[in-house]
Amino acid sequence: MPVTFTFGEMFSARSVIGSTLAELGDDYPHLWALTPDIGATLVEFREKFPDRFIDVGLAEQACVGIAAGLAYDGNIPVVSGMLPFLSMRALEQVRSDICYPNLPVKIIGTHGGLVGNGGSTHYAVEDLALMCALTNMTVTSIGDPLMVGEILRQSMSMPGPLYVRLAVGKKDRVLYAEGEHDIRIGKGIVAREGSDVTVFTHGTTVAQALDAAEQLADEGISVRVVDMFTLKPLDDGLVLRCAEETGGRFVVLEDHLAYGGLASRISDVIADRGVHLRSFERLGIPQVYAGFGDDEELRDKHGYGLVHTVDALRRAARA
Amino acid sequence: MTVDERHDTRRPSVGELEDTAFELRTKLLQLCGTYEGAVHIGGDLSAADIFTALYSYGLNVDPTDLASPTRDRFVLSKGHAAVCMYIAMAIRGFFDYDDIVRTYGQLDSAFGMHPCKVQLPGVECSTGSLGHGLPIAVGMALSARGRGESHRVFCLLGDGETGEGSVWEAVMSGRSQKLGNLVAFVDRNRQLMTSFAEERVLFEPYPDKWRAFGWNVVEIDGHDMGQLVAAIDALPDADSDVPTVIICETVKGKGVDFMERNLAWHAGSLGAADLDRALASLAANRPSSTRSEVN
Repeated sequence: MPVTFTFGEMFSARSVIGSTLAELGDDYPHLWALTPDIGATLVEFREKFPDRFIDVGLAEQACVGIAAGLAYDGNIPVVSGMLPFLSMRALEQVRSDICYPNLPVKIIGTHGGLVGNGGSTHYAVEDLALMCALTNMTVTSIGDPLMVGEILRQSMSMPGPLYVRLAVGKKDRVLYAEGEHDIRIGKGIVAREGSDVTVFTHGTTVAQALDAAEQLADEGISVRVVDMFTLKPLDDGLVLRCAEETGGRFVVLEDHLAYGGLASRISDVIADRGVHLRSFERLGIPQVYAGFGDDEELRDKHGYGLVHTVDALRRAARA
Repeated sequence: MTVDERHDTRRPSVGELEDTAFELRTKLLQLCGTYEGAVHIGGDLSAADIFTALYSYGLNVDPTDLASPTRDRFVLSKGHAAVCMYIAMAIRGFFDYDDIVRTYGQLDSAFGMHPCKVQLPGVECSTGSLGHGLPIAVGMALSARGRGESHRVFCLLGDGETGEGSVWEAVMSGRSQKLGNLVAFVDRNRQLMTSFAEERVLFEPYPDKWRAFGWNVVEIDGHDMGQLVAAIDALPDADSDVPTVIICETVKGKGVDFMERNLAWHAGSLGAADLDRALASLAANRPSSTRSEVN
């Protein structure tokens, strides 16, 4: 049954994975769900399609390899798990078993960024850099729980691999009203219009960017918020348009290493296209192993919390 | 249904298969004599009889129908033996051997050091990095189950690569998922690239390791065609619950006396003089049962 959402409410992105796959399983008889011991996300699918659900236990490499074997045979495998392990322990399987033959395997998981308070073994903070480096891979990072379902639905017809990054996925703010935006893989979303400065972001920090924009509106600063949920292929056209329309002022905010993620991908476009910006600032995780604490505390400690975002946008607007 | 019953063409005898294996080794050496780069000749020669038993006997495949959903699948986990597989497939009718010799390793060739499914339709999957094949084979076997198909999925591993942890993840998965349609062959040539295996890694008691994971373990001489054929004939039904591993005791460099158990011949190329010497040794080492037929 499709889940209904209300703008502004908190909702579990994880539950959307299971409910969406359970729904898609009817239309796609060769859709499989696999997990290395993170099966709670997939309960609805498992109960409805037990023969197409595989929990391999703690074996990420085999899990991804098995998904490749299923995909070679014309199936659509979705691997769901924790991203630090899927993106790093199984990196070579993702690269050589899935991306090299360009198989339609979807990898979706949680713990993207400094979330969950598990410590650095359990934070995926390099994953987007790693995934964006892989030929054939499409890379997304989702903040709004509604979008998780939409992205999974769209992915069913994709011929190649897809990476979908979530934060903890237990309690996420619904950012967009249903039908508010045309959500398409490869296209950024202008989550809030603005004319002085653009903040590009993805995933869990979209909500923070919207909050910062709201604060700055009171000061008369007009901030455009772009939810660049597809990092690869990047919506180059939107980057160029924002450079023109917001005075060449960019801030990039992300719950990922500040170098290697979205900021780096946008700066590639800037360099390759010879765009002259008035200001460019990146907010993200520095090259440290971040330690413990809740999500907000860690963002504040490492310089990309709400206060830092507001400050950076204000600086940019005055540049 | 047994493999026998699923084949409708006449199946070759053990003697004919031995001739085929001789042809495979000869063509392999000739390619090594032509190609300037290195070929993984040691592990090709150790697996040549296994490739022959699969492509000329065990595998239910049709070179004219590559996409048949009910074909047996073959995953080459020891991807560095690709050239031996290409030639075995050429003998079976998939490719033209001359095309392999003419283009192997050249720019834009479909025939490379490690197999690529995208560039070479007919091979079942892209491999090369060790330890990756068996998980893929598990996925293919699960797919067959899910679709109610009765074909088998075969996977050839080197014993050295079973040092990779991902192999044992797949060994556990194959048994947990009750995949009686999954058959692993291990080319137990007891050599790694730069050493004799037991000097570096304690593999023994090797068959017991597979038994401990719950697999049906068959131990044979991997150069005895009669034993290879018998092991294939005796495979449990594809709809049974226990995957099978056929551990093939082999000799790296088999058939060429100066290459056998010689660490220098993990990979190499052959000059004209070495090629003549290798072909002469191969002829001299040919199993006596078939040598008389040729003379």
